[in-house]
Amino acid sequence: MHGVSTPPASCVAWADDFDEWRQQARQLLQAGIPPSRVTWHDGEARHDDLFASPTISERPPSPEGASTPISIGRDQLTLLRNAARYRPRGSEQPRWPLLYRVVWRMVQGDATAMHAADDDGRVLHQRWHAIKREAHHMHAFLRFHRRDDAHGERYVAWFEPAHEILDLGAEHFADRMGGSRWIIATPGGGVSWDGTTLDYRAPCPENWTREARAAANRPNADEEHALWRTYFVSTFNPARLNHKVMTQHMPQRFWRHLSEGDLIPTMEAKARHGGQRLAQETSVGQRQGKALNVKLPADATSLPSRQRDDAPTD
Amino acid sequence: MELIDKLSILADAAKYDASCASSGAPKRSSRGKAGLGSSSGMGICHSFTPDGRCVSLLKVLLTNFCLFDCQYCVNRRSSNVPRARFTPEEVVRLTLSFYRRNTISGLFLSSGIIRSSDYTMEQLIRVARLLRETHQFRGYIHLKAIPEADPRLLEEAGRYADRLSANIELPTLTSLKTLAPEKELGTIHAAMGHIRQGIDATNDDIARDARHLPRSANPKRMAPRYAPGGQSTQMIVGADATDDRTILQSAQHLYRDFRLKRVYYSAFSPIPERPAGLPQAAPPLLREHRLYQADFLIRSYGFQAEELLNAPGNLDLEIDPKLAWALAHRNDFPVDLNRAEPAMIARVPGIGLRSVQRLVDLRRLRRIRYQDLVALRCRLDTLRPFVVTQDYRPTDADRDSTRLRQHLTAPQPAQMALW
Ligand code: SF4
Repeated sequence: MHGVSTPPASCVAWADDFDEWRQQARQLLQAGIPPSRVTWHDGEARHDDLFASPTISERPPSPEGASTPISIGRDQLTLLRNAARYRPRGSEQPRWPLLYRVVWRMVQGDATAMHAADDDGRVLHQRWHAIKREAHHMHAFLRFHRRDDAHGERYVAWFEPAHEILDLGAEHFADRMGGSRWIIATPGGGVSWDGTTLDYRAPCPENWTREARAAANRPNADEEHALWRTYFVSTFNPARLNHKVMTQHMPQRFWRHLSEGDLIPTMEAKARHGGQRLAQETSVGQRQGKALNVKLPADATSLPSRQRDDAPTD
Repeated sequence: MELIDKLSILADAAKYDASCASSGAPKRSSRGKAGLGSSSGMGICHSFTPDGRCVSLLKVLLTNFCLFDCQYCVNRRSSNVPRARFTPEEVVRLTLSFYRRNTISGLFLSSGIIRSSDYTMEQLIRVARLLRETHQFRGYIHLKAIPEADPRLLEEAGRYADRLSANIELPTLTSLKTLAPEKELGTIHAAMGHIRQGIDATNDDIARDARHLPRSANPKRMAPRYAPGGQSTQMIVGADATDDRTILQSAQHLYRDFRLKRVYYSAFSPIPERPAGLPQAAPPLLREHRLYQADFLIRSYGFQAEELLNAPGNLDLEIDPKLAWALAHRNDFPVDLNRAEPAMIARVPGIGLRSVQRLVDLRRLRRIRYQDLVALRCRLDTLRPFVVTQDYRPTDADRDSTRLRQHLTAPQPAQMALW
């Protein structure tokens, strides 16, 4: 094959993850193959019958392409890598052709290809934004449930991320939980932390999934979640009911796995039917009140420090 | 009293404080260490209550017993509310337990004034010390600074807390005198001054250490940091007749003199057994929203309070303050996006700070076209009369401010009630 001067009519390339894509893309760029000539496959569907045309591994880089070093800025690489975490839905464009078209344009000298106002660049930026948002959702809305075992304290969580962000969540929780052991199970992979190292598994082990889903479906089995539910009700201000803002920030798909999720409709209904006049939680208002009878100095503004010892305690 | 009952009372009593931010803390991690908790500088909202407010911290009072009688406050001594008091250990237990379940990123602890201001402040510090020293907790801690407490205690509180806040509550001396007779503006300002000094001093230390010490000697370890998340305060809106201009001027003054990180505006909430002299109804939440918008323009866009409101009065409820300013300054528009200073582009209604940056980046590569504003998802309806691009100029018909205003507000009357 060496010394072929005209590129083949088309190329087929496979990549499971970003690093694989990057390696393939580098070779294709060096061989000078334009995006319109590459068919990308995502995932593990490597059936031999798909070999309709030569794969890039059969094609050594053309001497001309190899002489132009392909360099891409660190920020740009970050953008590409993170945009690739996005799982396109429905008619959205698949990730590898998009990424390849962008780097192709960059290499051709079109610096606007990765700008947010560009047709391709915009999609990259939107995807990266969606990734950051979903990672943030995981940091925020994942819930641990305590499930001790023979070795002591241990926490489990079930989470359903919309994109490939499990590692972004795991790193965060390794920083956060210190020495506590935990596992996080998702429909894709799973990860556990033993206090010192992260252990990624794909697919997620069945017993992890079972345990985590059971915990998420019966959140009250961990009785500390009952305290949390009480807190959630009390910290709500019914006089400021605002359904729209709440759902904007906390999409309903997460409610199912929050221990406070099932309280929300009731709290809203109650607030709408009268509870909305006051900021106070009704159950607090129904308790026995207690006005305090304290004698203040004539000039109350100069209440001296450390003076009064008559403050009531309960 | 059971812990769960105390929690229900003392969370209810604490919710009138609008702040629940967990942002601005230095990077901390518990990976490979004893203890618990991390912070990244970015706040996390772990839930949202149906009022649309972020739940980031366990926000409770240590106790709602109070010697003071601030009229707007549900915990004032004359108020007939159920009372409770946590022990410091109970607050610690709740914080750690919620934190491990990932329902909070830390604690925001405040308190009614019991026995004395010093005693109260000492109790708050005790909780923070237990968390930081006994449990090596590295999550977020926000402590209320009791303005009347000894400055030495504020000093100590800042060593444990990421953020301190002394609430100004009411924007003027007169309203404070009428509604919070035991509080004094001078004392509150003095406390803010002490906190600012503490923050400035450690920042200076850190800067100096960073200059003179080798990089290996981590400056953060050299100087114990003082309230690294800065200080904030809260003003109640609509409890008396103070107008928005006075409120914003007062906020501007606080940002400048005490370098506050944030001023929170809290629309007065109707409380049980309203004392005479307080309004019957809450001010429209939209007013609070407009104040936050104006505050943001002051902090991040370089506006002055006096530019946004050049005469006494309130912000326009119908249109946002940036649009209102632009309509009042038609001579400064349209702005040519290919030539204007970034600061002026930021003054165009419908273009946010992020888009300003992107436009400036883009025009280094090529001329800006109208289509770019579409791609950047700027608010086209709003910005149309105010910009010039390579291929676009607003038409003359758009030039009259009154008609423009009618045109810009016409399609949205239904949103008014909702905000
Ligand atoms: S000092 Fe005033 S504002 Fe604070 S709890 Fe007591 S009465 Fe309320």
